[in-house]
Parts: sequence; structure tokens; C-alpha cells
Amino acid sequence: MGIGDVKGESDGALVVRVLDGDTDAFAGLVARYRDRLGRYAVRMLGNTADAEEALQDAFVRAYRSLARCSDPERFGAWLFGILVNRCRTVGGQRAKRQRLVSPDEPALARASVPHSEDREALREAIEWAVAQLSPSNREAFLLKHVEELSYDEMTELTGASVSALKMRVARAREELRRLLTEAESV
Amino acid sequence: MFERDEKLDRGVELLKEPVHLDPGFDRRVMAEIASAPRPRAWVRPIWAGIEWMRRGRPVTVSPLGGLAMAAGVAAVLLLGRSWLAPGETAPATATTAAPGSVVQFVIVAPAASTVSLVGDFNDWMNGATPMERVAGNGVWSVTVPLEPGRYRYAYLVDGTTWLSDPSAPPALDDEFGRPGSVVTIGEL
Repeated sequence: MGIGDVKGESDGALVVRVLDGDTDAFAGLVARYRDRLGRYAVRMLGNTADAEEALQDAFVRAYRSLARCSDPERFGAWLFGILVNRCRTVGGQRAKRQRLVSPDEPALARASVPHSEDREALREAIEWAVAQLSPSNREAFLLKHVEELSYDEMTELTGASVSALKMRVARAREELRRLLTEAESV
Repeated sequence: MFERDEKLDRGVELLKEPVHLDPGFDRRVMAEIASAPRPRAWVRPIWAGIEWMRRGRPVTVSPLGGLAMAAGVAAVLLLGRSWLAPGETAPATATTAAPGSVVQFVIVAPAASTVSLVGDFNDWMNGATPMERVAGNGVWSVTVPLEPGRYRYAYLVDGTTWLSDPSAPPALDDEFGRPGSVVTIGEL
């Protein structure tokens, strides 16, 4: 699935309406992309509060800079790029906070992963494991395997080269396999 | 491509499941946007010019035409001041396309009721090439098919006031003594 697979009034039409002064038309863009991008933000940042902060910031920044969206029909891809950057910023701020208040959170999280193989246990395990990845590897893994973007699309969003992204994805997969096995044995 | 891992694959499928944002999320976003400065819309007509080029239509502009294009960005900004709301600026562009294709003329005149493009290509007839208001903040635009050549043109605001692009090549040879500019399309 590409970034811009949407139905209804096109992104370009909505962008033009907003630029023509119909601010309410932006609500259509918010409704269109909130869930898709919200999922990425939650998976990237690990909690809904930070994800909503990053996503709201991305929407507002996109609105303010809407005239700089060079291809309105690809508004979704443009917005996604803004969100990727916001997640990096919010994630970095959170990491600083956590270093102060929760120095051993990974160990705490690992201890809380149940042994059972049921669906909820696997959900907790994969979410925990994804959270252990480095931000750059996590970002590449989510864009590739969860958002199912092509490497070219990922390059556009992240600014990283295809070869660098492939290496990050491979490392992320290797690390996740190891972490899932580790969680299973705890 | 990737080494298969059933557990990891099942985990990825779980990560693809929808997340649930706060029901008030959209409202919060729109509330913040309502208090934000409105995005500037005048850049949008330039996209059309970019689209023409992206579609592979060759653009041929003589040095004089290039001057006219560049000049248009600031030209009406100066002379169109009387049609602007206080504090507003008025960028404008005249974009050329391939010989035999179209030229886009754009000006910003928020307080104008009508704007027409007049020039050699329409015998300077008021109303023959009306410009359309394309943005809420007073952007007027029209596209005109033009063969290669040199054209004098001006903007006619509210049917009475003539505007040229002041930093574009002036039409010094206007026999009627009205302000006008020159755009050159193709190689002469």
C-alpha cells in the first residue's frame, strides 16, 4: 500500500480549498490521515499520548506550511515526512526524560512479558521488542513492514539512502527475532 | 528477501492493527488550526507552471521573456498597491510555457472586483480575457495560448485602471500611451 491510497475528494482538491480560505476542508485531511499516521506514531513512540502530540504537531505544521506542499495530490506523503521528523523530535525529548526517571525500564518491561503464546502475549512482546530497537532501526522497520512502503518512498520520507535503510531493516528484524526469543524464555 | 520468522510475522500483523486515538483529537487539531495564521495561497498558481513542465512540455523563453517572468513576481506588488488590503503584499507571476502552448498570468489584487488581461493577443479588448479569482486572498489568474512571438500586455483592473509589470520590460512602443509590459515566447 502506498502513501497516497485514499478515496473521496482528492488531497489536491482539499488542499486547494484550504488555500482558498476554507479552513474546514483541512478537517477532511485530518480525518483521512489520522488513523494511518496515528498508527505509525504510536508504534514509533510507544504510547498514545506522545503519538497524539507528535501527530497534532505534524498536522498544524502542515497547515501552516501548506503553500509549500509542492505536490498537493501527494499531501499524504508530505505530511508523513513531517510526522517522521516530529516523531524523531518527540522521541528524543522523551528519551531524555526517561533517562532521568526510569533508568531500567527495558528490564522492567521485559519482566512483565508473559510466557504464554496467546495473542495478547505476543502483542505485548512485539511492542516491547520494537521499543527496544534504536530509533533509526525502529523507524525503518515500521515504515517497511508495518506501513509497507517501498524503499524509494522511505528514502523520500527519511532522507536516508536505500542501502542504509535496507541495512537498518535487516538489523531490526535480526534484533526483533532475538528479543522475541528472549522474551519467550523469561 | 527476508528470512521468514513466523513469530515475527505474526507480531508484525498485530502492529498493523488500528490504534485508537482520543475521540477529541480531530477537534483539538482543528481548534489549534483555527488560531493559526492562514497559509498563504498565492504560491498555488506556480504549481500549475511546475505541472506543465513536469508533463514534459518544453519551455522556451527568450532572455526578454525570462526577464518578464522574473519581473512579474514583484511588479504588481508595487503598482497594485491601491487594490491591496492594508499590510498585504501582492506577489504576481507570469509563467511561460512551450511555444504554441499556454502562458499563465497571475496577479494579486484582493480589493479588485474584476481583472482582465489585455494585450496584443486579444487586440487590447477589455473583457476578452477575463481573469478568474482563484484564491480567497485575491489571486487572479488566466492562461492564454500564445504562439512564439513578442507581446505587449497589461492588466485592466475594475475596467478602468491599467497596470503593467513595473520591473518587466516596459512596452515603450505603446501607441496609446498606456502602461504595458512585454513578454516574449520562444526564440525570435
